[in-house]
Amino acid sequence: MAVQDGSGTGFLGRVEFQVKSSAKKSPFVRLLVLLSAIFAVLGFAFSPARAEGDGYAIRVQVKQQQRDAAGKTDNQPIAGVTVFVTDADGVEIGRLETDAEGIAIFDLPAKADYTVTIDESTLPAGQKLDAAASNSQTLLGDSFVMKTKVVNFFTGGSQSVSQSLFEKIAQRLVDGVRLGLILAMCSVGLSLIFGTTGLTNFAHGEMVTFGGLAAFVLNISGLSFLGFLSFIPGIRPDGTFHILWAAPIGIIAGGGFGWALNYAIFGRLRKRGIGLVTQMVLTVGLSILLRNFFLSRFEGRTRPYAEFTLQRAMEFGPISITARDLIVSILSLLILISVAMALRFTRLGKATRAVSDNPDLASATGIDSEKVIRLVWILGGALAAAGGIFRGLDEQVSFDMGGRLLFLLFASITLGGLGSAFGALMGGFVVGIMVEVASLVVPTELKATPALLVLILVLLLRPQGILGRAQRVG
Amino acid sequence: MDWSLIIENSIKGFIGINAVYFAIAAIGLNVQFGFTGLLNFGQAGFMACGAYGLGMTAHYFGISMWWGIPIGIAFSVVLGFLMGIPTLRLRADYLAIVTIASAEIIRLVVRSVKFKTYFGGSDGINGFSDSFRNIGDDIGIVQANQYGFWPLRFTGREIWTLVVGWVVVAVVAYFVYLLMKSPWGRVLKAIREDEDAVRSLGKSVFSYKMQSLILGGAIGTMSGMIFALDRGSVQPDNYSRDVTFYILTALVLGGVAKVSGSIVGPMIFWGIFTFMDNFLRQVAKDPVHLGNFTIMKSTQVGQLNYMLIGLTLILLMVYRPQGVFGNRKEMAFDGH
Repeated sequence: MAVQDGSGTGFLGRVEFQVKSSAKKSPFVRLLVLLSAIFAVLGFAFSPARAEGDGYAIRVQVKQQQRDAAGKTDNQPIAGVTVFVTDADGVEIGRLETDAEGIAIFDLPAKADYTVTIDESTLPAGQKLDAAASNSQTLLGDSFVMKTKVVNFFTGGSQSVSQSLFEKIAQRLVDGVRLGLILAMCSVGLSLIFGTTGLTNFAHGEMVTFGGLAAFVLNISGLSFLGFLSFIPGIRPDGTFHILWAAPIGIIAGGGFGWALNYAIFGRLRKRGIGLVTQMVLTVGLSILLRNFFLSRFEGRTRPYAEFTLQRAMEFGPISITARDLIVSILSLLILISVAMALRFTRLGKATRAVSDNPDLASATGIDSEKVIRLVWILGGALAAAGGIFRGLDEQVSFDMGGRLLFLLFASITLGGLGSAFGALMGGFVVGIMVEVASLVVPTELKATPALLVLILVLLLRPQGILGRAQRVG
Repeated sequence: MDWSLIIENSIKGFIGINAVYFAIAAIGLNVQFGFTGLLNFGQAGFMACGAYGLGMTAHYFGISMWWGIPIGIAFSVVLGFLMGIPTLRLRADYLAIVTIASAEIIRLVVRSVKFKTYFGGSDGINGFSDSFRNIGDDIGIVQANQYGFWPLRFTGREIWTLVVGWVVVAVVAYFVYLLMKSPWGRVLKAIREDEDAVRSLGKSVFSYKMQSLILGGAIGTMSGMIFALDRGSVQPDNYSRDVTFYILTALVLGGVAKVSGSIVGPMIFWGIFTFMDNFLRQVAKDPVHLGNFTIMKSTQVGQLNYMLIGLTLILLMVYRPQGVFGNRKEMAFDGH
């Protein structure tokens, strides 16, 4: 049995003896039942044939044209360039960044005329489109011989910069704030779970993905047995929900998922007094399990939600932002403010912070730690799901959208102070802005690197984080 | 259902090159995690050091591949310091966070277009292992020849890497076994159990932890080298976060804080994994249905297998955190 040492598990000693008998009786049958129930529902949900349009797509390739000494062409792909596709009416169909191979793939709603435009300001410094080429190319619907049409953009190695530095910084700041809001939302739960239980949850990224995918299931795949609800506006007879329904339901499902994880796994482990390291390794297993489950049901592609993909960017001086992104940002800000208010002023919020601060002391003053921890898991799950859905609206959904954020989340909560909710909010914000602004200097594909630098610097200089309480930690 | 193929492949999985490089990496991870209680979630980063050490010497520095061995080890020592200095004075979680992050950043850097001249981008580095292969030919194990009989059939190419690989496993395992018996190893175990007690005896906990992290990392580096030599290529995506997690699973499967466990674990891991993979692929040749619901298509076999790995790790942590052959007392530490 692990020794209680007052750093998150202290209250266990109290609960332990009274549940020992019941924990022995049905060790993990219920866990398996619960997990398989979750998977059964999700698996069922993903299985019906998806509405895929007709499978038409545009494959945009951005390359740097070079010739080697022998005069042979040696083209290098350019990653992280923003390209967007508009339809004949000038409405934006999608906006993507090219991947490491310099490729971005757009799924099209139908075979029609489209214009592909490359955002020259996102080209790496010193790169410029070939002088002869325009920054946009128009495709005619009739030119789709195969389902996928390839569009190439080539850059020469010229030196000029089209956008002023100020404009670039302003745009990056806006992008950074958007990313920061999402990071803040996702990391509050991670930090609070750590604060109240001492557990670093490596499966938190999968909780983010869960939200994004849950909304996707409702929005695109549809739950056909809910088709009878189609008298409600926004719900269609095939059981698909408008995103305005799917998003809140997905957030609630995320809360339920958090609750289920605590109920089925972590609550039990705490009762049995299982050590934190063991629990942490378990979250690794959980992350592998969930991510591959998502992959097997969802496949490797990234996909958009059904609504709000057609957006025209609005220009405010140097900044351009779509209405969707603006509304999502305002919504996340409102959610974050209300969470912060609740933590600050409500009884339960105060109890949460008390448990997070010092579990033993909180326990001694009559706070029911288990209840608080349950609440934290629900809240954390719901916020992570919200983050996932908003991220999905912004960047489309994929099976590892959360896993890829995990490292930024860790950087956020370490920067803010492990265990502090307000710290996580602030940390998420700072990391988000920093990552985006840093992409002015470092290549886009490496824009996460400064976050690691910050992580290491914070640990060296102020290990308790910005808002953390200094204590002897080793 | 072709059972003879399934059996042959499973046995190959059991003793094959995957088990070898996992075993070496697991021995290293065991030094850190099992014996010292350090949560290194970035073993893949150390492995990348080894693999790219070899690849870069040939590809970028343009000198003999063998210089890559000391260069790779040097990389891993530097990486160990980078990971250790900020975190080893702090709670165990910080090391886990920094290692997982560093390994991911290493992967991003080596696959980036920006540093393609050094690391070969997402294609990696190929064709540097000839001098290693030629030795096999010279001592009479001809690469192209087929040796053995069912169910143990290998090409000369495979045998040569396997022989070298298992020799490295044996040497490293014996070395670690002796180290852990020594006073130095006992200090590591004491740190895992109670840091403060060790500190009160006048030992520098930080320095011991750092030595353990670097030793384990250097062993992980060798694992990366063996893997790179076997493939004859280095590819960034072979060093992803998941690789560390699978090695961790294999280690826990065998038994934490036991050198034998970190060899047996990877063998069982790959034996079962290869068996399941071959078996399920044959089952799923036609999609398996239950009513309208597709349970499994052939494209989903890989993911199903990885899900089973995750589930195994979860169940092990719940029921036998010390691993199948481990000693429960050795896994009672709490990460503080």
